[in-house]
Amino acid sequence: MRVLLVVVVAALGVVEWPTDATDVANRLDPPSGRHLLGTDQLGRDVLARVLGGIRWTVGLGFGAAVVSLVIGVGVGLLTGWLDGTRARIVGTLVQSVVDLVVAVPTLLVGLVVAALLGPGLTPAVLALVVLGWAPFARLAHRLTVAARAEGWVLAARSLGAGPTWILRVHVLPAIAEPLRAAFTARFVGAMLTLAGLSFLGLGVQPPTPEWGAMLAEGRTAVFSAPWLVVAPAGALVLVAGLVSRPRRVVGPGSAGR
Amino acid sequence: MRALAPVVVVLALLLSACGGSPAGEGGTAVALQFPPRAGYAFDADDGGLLTKLGVAEPLVALDPRGNPVPGLATSWAQDGTTWRFALREGVRFHDGAALDANAVVTALTYVLGRPAPPRAITDIGLQVAADGPMTVRATTTAPDPVLPLRLSSGSTSILSPAAYRGGGQPSPVNTATGPLRMTEARGTEGATLERFDGYWGERARSARVDVRYVGDPQTRELALRSGDVGYTEGLPETSRAGLRADPSVTFSEFPSARTILLQLNQSAAPFADVRVRRAVTAALDRNVLAQALGGAAAPASDLFGPAVPYGSTQAPPPADVPAARALLAEAGHGPQNPLRVRLWTFPNRPELPVLAQAIAAQLQAAGITTDITVGEYDAQEPEVLAGRYDMFLNSRSYLSDYPDAASTLTSDYTSGGAYAIDRYRSPAFDALMAQLGAVTDTDARARIYRQAAAMLVTDAVGVPIVHPRNTAVEKGVTGFVADPLDLRPVLPALAPAG
Amino acid sequence: MTGLLPVAHPVAALALRRLALVPPVLLVASAVVFCLPRLLGGNVTRSVIRSRSLASAPDPAAEARLAAELGLDRPLREQYLAWLAGALRGDLGRSFTTRAPVAPDVLGATGVSGVLALLALAVALAVGLPAGVLAADRPGRVVDRAVDRVGAVALAVPEFVVGPALVLVVAVWAGWLPALGWGTADRAVLPVLTLALFPAALAARLVRAETRVALAHPSTATAVAKGLSRRRVLGVHVLPRSLTAVLAEAGPFLTGTLGGAVVVEVVFDVPGLGRTLAEAIGSRDLPTIQAGLVVVLAVAMLLTLATELAGRALDPRSR
Repeated sequence: MRVLLVVVVAALGVVEWPTDATDVANRLDPPSGRHLLGTDQLGRDVLARVLGGIRWTVGLGFGAAVVSLVIGVGVGLLTGWLDGTRARIVGTLVQSVVDLVVAVPTLLVGLVVAALLGPGLTPAVLALVVLGWAPFARLAHRLTVAARAEGWVLAARSLGAGPTWILRVHVLPAIAEPLRAAFTARFVGAMLTLAGLSFLGLGVQPPTPEWGAMLAEGRTAVFSAPWLVVAPAGALVLVAGLVSRPRRVVGPGSAGR
Repeated sequence: MRALAPVVVVLALLLSACGGSPAGEGGTAVALQFPPRAGYAFDADDGGLLTKLGVAEPLVALDPRGNPVPGLATSWAQDGTTWRFALREGVRFHDGAALDANAVVTALTYVLGRPAPPRAITDIGLQVAADGPMTVRATTTAPDPVLPLRLSSGSTSILSPAAYRGGGQPSPVNTATGPLRMTEARGTEGATLERFDGYWGERARSARVDVRYVGDPQTRELALRSGDVGYTEGLPETSRAGLRADPSVTFSEFPSARTILLQLNQSAAPFADVRVRRAVTAALDRNVLAQALGGAAAPASDLFGPAVPYGSTQAPPPADVPAARALLAEAGHGPQNPLRVRLWTFPNRPELPVLAQAIAAQLQAAGITTDITVGEYDAQEPEVLAGRYDMFLNSRSYLSDYPDAASTLTSDYTSGGAYAIDRYRSPAFDALMAQLGAVTDTDARARIYRQAAAMLVTDAVGVPIVHPRNTAVEKGVTGFVADPLDLRPVLPALAPAG
Repeated sequence: MTGLLPVAHPVAALALRRLALVPPVLLVASAVVFCLPRLLGGNVTRSVIRSRSLASAPDPAAEARLAAELGLDRPLREQYLAWLAGALRGDLGRSFTTRAPVAPDVLGATGVSGVLALLALAVALAVGLPAGVLAADRPGRVVDRAVDRVGAVALAVPEFVVGPALVLVVAVWAGWLPALGWGTADRAVLPVLTLALFPAALAARLVRAETRVALAHPSTATAVAKGLSRRRVLGVHVLPRSLTAVLAEAGPFLTGTLGGAVVVEVVFDVPGLGRTLAEAIGSRDLPTIQAGLVVVLAVAMLLTLATELAGRALDPRSR
């Protein structure tokens, strides 16, 4: 079911929608058979823009989360795995940075990056990644340290298995499930933060049909053309809800499944 | 949501008792669009704000058409490079001090000594001195025909001498002369004003005005609709129809002295060729573009709009796509050599990205492809000023600080002007501007401005797209008088209804 | 490292070690925050002049005079050392735009955001903790389903949707509360509720999961066997065992809200740190930006430490 939804959303995101076709004569038309979600200030079809926004809001959020995951897990595995005093000092230092970075508000960093580089897509995504890797690094570090102490890892080591092999075969599978949960949360967070930055005018700029930017453009019309607000907000909530919908009871005893 | 419902209800009940009208009896609460930019500094745009609030006053006041009328000075006369201003007798500052020539000299000397003095009085070598107890002598390096208009700028307002002691930035709290006395300034958040009973002119109509500065247009609208404030301005374009239809509010819409311009870089291809510039002009239907803003703007036929007497009232010509294509073909652009240009604009004024998109669509119909970039103005400015751009959609006020267009025309369109984004170089235009130095008569100056605007149209120096319209709404408040120049006091006229 | 410190208690040692990290990190961070905008930010004086006087045409002479007044014409290292010396005396410089001292403004805004964050946290806990415990106590019943469904929505709806929606319903249509502003209790309700929605849902989730485990713990059975009331068992025995995860999230939430509640502060016109910083960034007011960021970082570090210590104190395994 979920897989199907993901495929559908991804497919919709890949399609080129006529997001920029203006038709001023039919501006702010309410939803009708011709325009299922109505039209905006320039007579653009809102449904086409919402669908065209998938690749921006969902796609960029996903991309930022993936990059964060890769960087974070790399750092966490490394600091959690390395042995010896020097490595431990490096590890402690890295974890201090992680502690600090985890605590800094993403939106604030988004503001600062936008101030340095100007508002736009690149700074917004950069801000997401600059902070996004830290929670993964923290989690991967903890999980790796725990996994390393497990009997089968020690056994594999004593049998002379190389570190890469152990990491790939023993450690990564053991830490994959909690990381997947963390990734889902990060993905939703990245998506909402990106939309929030665009909403504040610091992220993706119009006329790009990013949902947060669409909300910012349309929100003043909430009395006269509520579909301009409802459509992007609904899409955002729908996707965020679908992604973050929890599985049934996850308890420590159930080994994460 | 269900879990929150009881909490919401209980909190609402508990706290609704603590509310109450913020302005109190006989008072008015207003939400203004622009906060003080620099703590009410006169060398920022805040002088104009203080005039609008009805708190501080300059020497010269303005009538609704923008002509100089007596303010703190009752008469003035020019003698070459010198102007003499006779001060009004019996004027008291809010702190009780009396207005005299020394107070005026102190105030103007302070503001002239700032690193970046106000636009209205910069670059003319202005010096002021007392000429007797109630006369001020102002001299400039060259004869200045419009010095009284310059001294109508809110940035040349006069505060009590006490405000300038201590060396810090002078504060308008209890130190100005206007019909409303500022009793408390709360940074960019708001201010409290009270009627000044010792005012020399017409008294303010509210005993107390509670000012809030709210930057977000939707928040301003919601504040008015929820009754938090009784007056607000700069409403979102999409709410205009709804507010106009609402019987509980009075909705005003009026022109502003501003033009949204599509500026074209004349110092490089393709817009160095006047035929390409004319093709762009012909390809655009400004009536449709104005429509894209839902009546929040009037189509522009030249630089000056209905806010000024010399503004154009004619509708711009409709689009002529075949003519545009023909001009392009003449200039060597056609299906074989299509024209592709960059269009830059910035999002601080939300109507600009919308217009950019609509402009791109119209240009496409004439065979011109545009790549829109919405970026940060601060990053774009040095590039466009250096001529490293194709098209720039900009919003420009043609009157700033005082009702005379000479400074804008000079900085924007004379050869080597400080803000000459179009990079227009025309000896004829420069000569026309040079004439202004000797013309005092308002009508004669207006004729020159008409000629200048016509010259810009003939040479296709950019395309004036629309003149935005301002809005103001009252709810439970009366007395608002629209000021298209945006240079005169607004708050003293507001009164609680009933 | 612990061995070098003459402290026996491991938690106290940890606290000291972490506290010792705060000043150097802040020093490095302040240097980065100070230098980056000056190196990357383009023409600062032009931005400052434009932020003060919007339509002004560029004027290099005025920019040079302003640069001299703001001290921007001096070498970067000199500027930073002067700022640092002032900061150590509690003087964070003067705002480029308003020329008022920065420290009182930033501290005032921090106070506003702090109150906002604490109120939101209090509301979130007041709703989330009981909801989580009740949901775990009666799986499948109304509260449990509400935590599931309402919680899922609450976690997915961003602030910039909730805020305007609340204003529309509560302030405009119903007319119960003012739409914007700060300073009186009634004005605080809507922004606090908007901010509290997400953490309330999250707290309910986390507490529910942990309560399920705690309910299965032998000590719960003992308490029930002693004949204590269900409410007492849940409140006194189960709830304290179910707070580890919530506590771990509370610190990041507070710091996140302190500087990051920009949307709520803009929508409700609350003069907090997020909005102050957003405005300062818009007008290139470097002293305000620096002061705000340093405050946020300092608070972030201290709160992270505090939550970690609280977590250790509560976690029975580390006692």
